Amino acid sequence: MSVAVELRHISKRFPGVIANKDVSMKVETGTVHALVGENGAGKSTVMKILYGMQRPDGGEILVNGQAVNFKNPNDAIDASIGMVHQHFMLADNFTVLENIILGAEPKHGITIDFAAARKKVADMSAAYGLDVDPDILVEELGVGQRQRVEILKVLYRGARILIFDEPTAVLVPQEVDDLFNALKGLRAEGMAIIFISHKLDEVLRVADDVTVVRAGSTVAEVKSKDVTARQLAELMVGSELPQPTTHGDTRRPEITLALKDVSIPTKSGSRDLISHISFDLHAGEVIGIAGVEGNGQAELVEAIMGLREYTGQIEFKGENIDHFTVAHRHDAGIGLIPEDRQRQGLMMASPLWENRILGHQRSKPVMRGFVLDKKATIADTRTIMQEFDVRAPGPQTLAAALSGGNQQKFIVGREMSKAPSLLVASHPTRGVDVGAQAAIWEELRRAREKGMAVVLISADLEELIGMSDRLLVMLRGAITAQLDPQKTTPEQLGSAMTGAK
Amino acid sequence: MKLKSTKLLLNATLLILVLSIIRLITGASDLTSIGTASAALLLSVPIVLAGVGGLFSERSGVVNIGLEGMMILGAWAGGFIGSKHGPWLGLAAAIFFGAVGALVHAVATITFGVDHVVSGVAINIIAAGLVRYLSTLLYQGGSWPGPSQSPDISSIATNGLPVLSGGTYAGWHSPDILTPLAEKHWFFISDVAAILRGLTGDLSYVTVVAIAVVPLSFFILWKTSFGLRLRSAGEAPIAAESLGVNVYLMKYAGVLISGGLAGLGGGFLAIVAANHYQENQVAGRGYIGLAALLFGNYRPGGILAGAGLFGFADALQLRDSAAIHALILLIVLVLAYLVYRDIRKGKHVSAAISAIMSAAFLWFYLAVDVLPGQLVTMTPYIATLLVMSLASQRLRMPAADGIPYRRGGLR
Repeated sequence: MSVAVELRHISKRFPGVIANKDVSMKVETGTVHALVGENGAGKSTVMKILYGMQRPDGGEILVNGQAVNFKNPNDAIDASIGMVHQHFMLADNFTVLENIILGAEPKHGITIDFAAARKKVADMSAAYGLDVDPDILVEELGVGQRQRVEILKVLYRGARILIFDEPTAVLVPQEVDDLFNALKGLRAEGMAIIFISHKLDEVLRVADDVTVVRAGSTVAEVKSKDVTARQLAELMVGSELPQPTTHGDTRRPEITLALKDVSIPTKSGSRDLISHISFDLHAGEVIGIAGVEGNGQAELVEAIMGLREYTGQIEFKGENIDHFTVAHRHDAGIGLIPEDRQRQGLMMASPLWENRILGHQRSKPVMRGFVLDKKATIADTRTIMQEFDVRAPGPQTLAAALSGGNQQKFIVGREMSKAPSLLVASHPTRGVDVGAQAAIWEELRRAREKGMAVVLISADLEELIGMSDRLLVMLRGAITAQLDPQKTTPEQLGSAMTGAK
Repeated sequence: MKLKSTKLLLNATLLILVLSIIRLITGASDLTSIGTASAALLLSVPIVLAGVGGLFSERSGVVNIGLEGMMILGAWAGGFIGSKHGPWLGLAAAIFFGAVGALVHAVATITFGVDHVVSGVAINIIAAGLVRYLSTLLYQGGSWPGPSQSPDISSIATNGLPVLSGGTYAGWHSPDILTPLAEKHWFFISDVAAILRGLTGDLSYVTVVAIAVVPLSFFILWKTSFGLRLRSAGEAPIAAESLGVNVYLMKYAGVLISGGLAGLGGGFLAIVAANHYQENQVAGRGYIGLAALLFGNYRPGGILAGAGLFGFADALQLRDSAAIHALILLIVLVLAYLVYRDIRKGKHVSAAISAIMSAAFLWFYLAVDVLPGQLVTMTPYIATLLVMSLASQRLRMPAADGIPYRRGGLR
C-alpha cells in the first residue's frame, strides 16, 4: 500500500490561539484513517489546511509523495482531495444535480450539458450505493441524503482522498450504518479516507488507523485493532479518564426543593405532559432524573423554573414559590444549566461579558444601583473564566467563537457564581469533551459538599448513576421508579427507562 | 415545458376574452385598442429592463434598491450623448452610465460590506443630485435648452412583423393584415387582432432587443455555467466558494449587468419613449421594476408579466379614463372568480371577504360614472398592489440575498 497523504509537523497560529503546534499523520490508500482529539485540539484546523482553506505557518504536506502548497480549495481539488463538510455546503434552492456539478460543469457549447452530468451522477450513485434523485431540490432531502449529495459532489470532482469532518454528528443511528457501509465501499475502491471524530466507538468500528491529537500536537498513531476506546480516550485527554463519582453522604436535614403533586395538563385533554410528580430534595443531595428523552424531563425543568403553567405546589426552602416569576426564582437562588446551551444558555453573537449578565441582570456585580457596571462585569467574567478554565482570549470574545465544552464551562461558571441553593442541571455534559466533562463534574461535587441541591437530568447513564444520591425514572410524564444508584447498573437503569420489567 | 406554454397561451386567450366581453358591455373601446397595446408595450419595456437588472443583482445575492438611481444615470446619459452623437451611441452611453452607478454599489456592498439598502438609497440620492448638477452646467454653457431638459434626440427606426403588421424590409413594404381586422370591431377576433398589432407593429428596434432580454436572461441564468455560478453566489456563497467559484467576481458581474440593464431602461425612456431627457423622467420606475421582480418571484417570465400588467394599466390611464372605469368591472369579475375558487376549496372566510369586496366594487362601478383624475393616475399602482396581494404566491428569494459576504467564510 502506498501513502496517499502525509502531513509533517504542521503548525498554525491564529491571533490569540495556537491551533496546531506540531501535527503529523500518514494516511495510506485503501484505508480509513481516523483523526481523533478533544474539541479544540486542532483536528478541524489541520484538515482545513489540508483542504487549502487555510495556509499552514509551518510544516509540509505531501500528496502521493509530492510536496504540495495549496493556496485555495481548488488546488486541493486538483490534487484529488475532497472534503465532506460537517455543516453541509449545499444550496437548498438548487437541485441535487446543480449542487453536484457547480464549479465543474460539463459543457455542451456554451450551455451546461445536463444530460451528461445526470448520467455521470447516476453511474456514481450506482457504483457506490449512494442513491439519490438528481432532479429533486435539496431542501426536500433529509440529513442522510444531503450527506450523500456531499459525498457525490466530492467524488464527481475525481477525489481519491476524502476528508469527512465529524460526519456522524448530525445522523441518526440508521443513517450512520448507511454511511459506514458507503465508506467501506469507497475504501474497497482504493480511496484514502480521513475520518475526523471524537466518538471513539464509531472510530473503532470504521477506522483502520487512528491518529490522536492533543492540544495541537500529534500524540499517538495506532492501529485501531490494537486499542480500546478507553485507551484512546486517555490518549486524547493525556491522563487517566475521570469518573463520575461522588464521595460520602453530604445530605443535610433541611429540604431545599419539594414538589407536591405537580402536573402539566395539556389543553387538548390528552395525557398530561408531566403528571403527579412529588419528591423532596435535601440540601447537599443530587437527585438524578433518568428517562428516554421526551418523557417529560424538559417540562419538569420548565415547571421548576416557572417557565410553564402547572398544577400542584412547588416549595423552595420551605416557602411556596408557585406565584414566583422566573426572575424571582432565579433571584431566590435557583440556578439553571439549560439543555441547549446555544439556544437557551447563550447569546452566540455577543461577547462573554454580556453573556455573563444573563440571569443576573438585577444583582451585583453586574448592577450598581440602576446602572450597568460594565467594568465589574468584565472583571467578574475574567474571574469565572479563570476559575472554570474557560479557554478563550478574554471577556470580549464572542460566545460563538468558543468550543462547545468551553461554552458549557462558562455557563456552569456563571450559574455557580451566585452560589445557588438549588441547581437544575439539564444534560450538563452533553456534547462536551472529556476534559470539560471532568471539570463540570468536579464543580458539581464541590457545590454538593457545600450544601447545594441538584436536580440532574442526563442521557448519560453512567453520569446519572455516578453523580446521583437518588435516581427517579420518568416515563410518559410520570415517575415510575425510584432506584438506589449504589445498587443499579446502567443496564438495569436502561430497562427501567423503557418500562421493561 | 410544453405543457407550461400551452397553459400560458390558454390564459392569455382567456384574458383577452374577458377583456372583449367587458369592452362589449361598457363600450370602452380603448380597453383592447391597437394604441393601448402598443403604449402598454412601450411603458413596460423600462420596467422589464429594471426588473431583469434587479434579477441579475439579487440572484447573485446583492439587493439592488439603487436601480432607480442607475436608471436616472442612464436616462441622463441617453439625453446627453444621444443628443450629440445619435440615439445608438446614446443607448450605449446609457448602459455604460448605469454600469458605473452599479460599480459604486458593487464596491460599497461587495468589497466594503456596506449594508445593501443603505448603499442603494445613497446611489438613488446621489444620482438624482448629480444629473441635476451636470444638467445645470450644460444649460449655463448654452448647449442645453433648460436645466432640466436635454436637446432633442433623433429617433430610432421602427419596423413591424412582416405580413401581419406592416413595416419595410429592404425596400419591400409588407402588407398590414391586422389593422383592418382590428377596425371591424368583431367580438374577440378584432380584439385579438388589435392587441397583436399593437405588440408587433411599429416597433422600435430597441424594444425588440429589450424584450429579447427576457428569454436571454433565462437562458444565461439557468442554462449556462456562468448563470449557475452566479445563482450559487446568491443561494449559498460559502458552498460556492468551497467548490472554487469566485463569489466576488460573480457578485460584481451580477451587479454590473444589473446596472447596465437599468441604465438601458433609463436610456430607453429618454430616447425611445420620449425624444429628449427630462428631469424626473424615471419617476420611480426603478422601484416598480423591483416590484415586478418580486411579483415575478425572481424569474424572468414573471417579471415580464408584472411589468406588462403595470404597463397596461399605465397605458389605459394615459389614453382614456373611461377605460379605467371599465377596468373596475374586470376587478369585480376577478373577485367573483376568487369567490368561486375559495368556496370550492372550502375557505369560507376568504370567500366571504372576496364576495364583499366584489360587491363593493360593483356598487362603485354602477354609482360612479366618471372617476376623479387623481384616482385615474393612481391606477397602475393600485392595479399592481391589488394583483400582488391577490396572487397568493410563495415568494422564494435567493437564500443569501442581502447578506454581506466575506471570503474565507469557510472558517
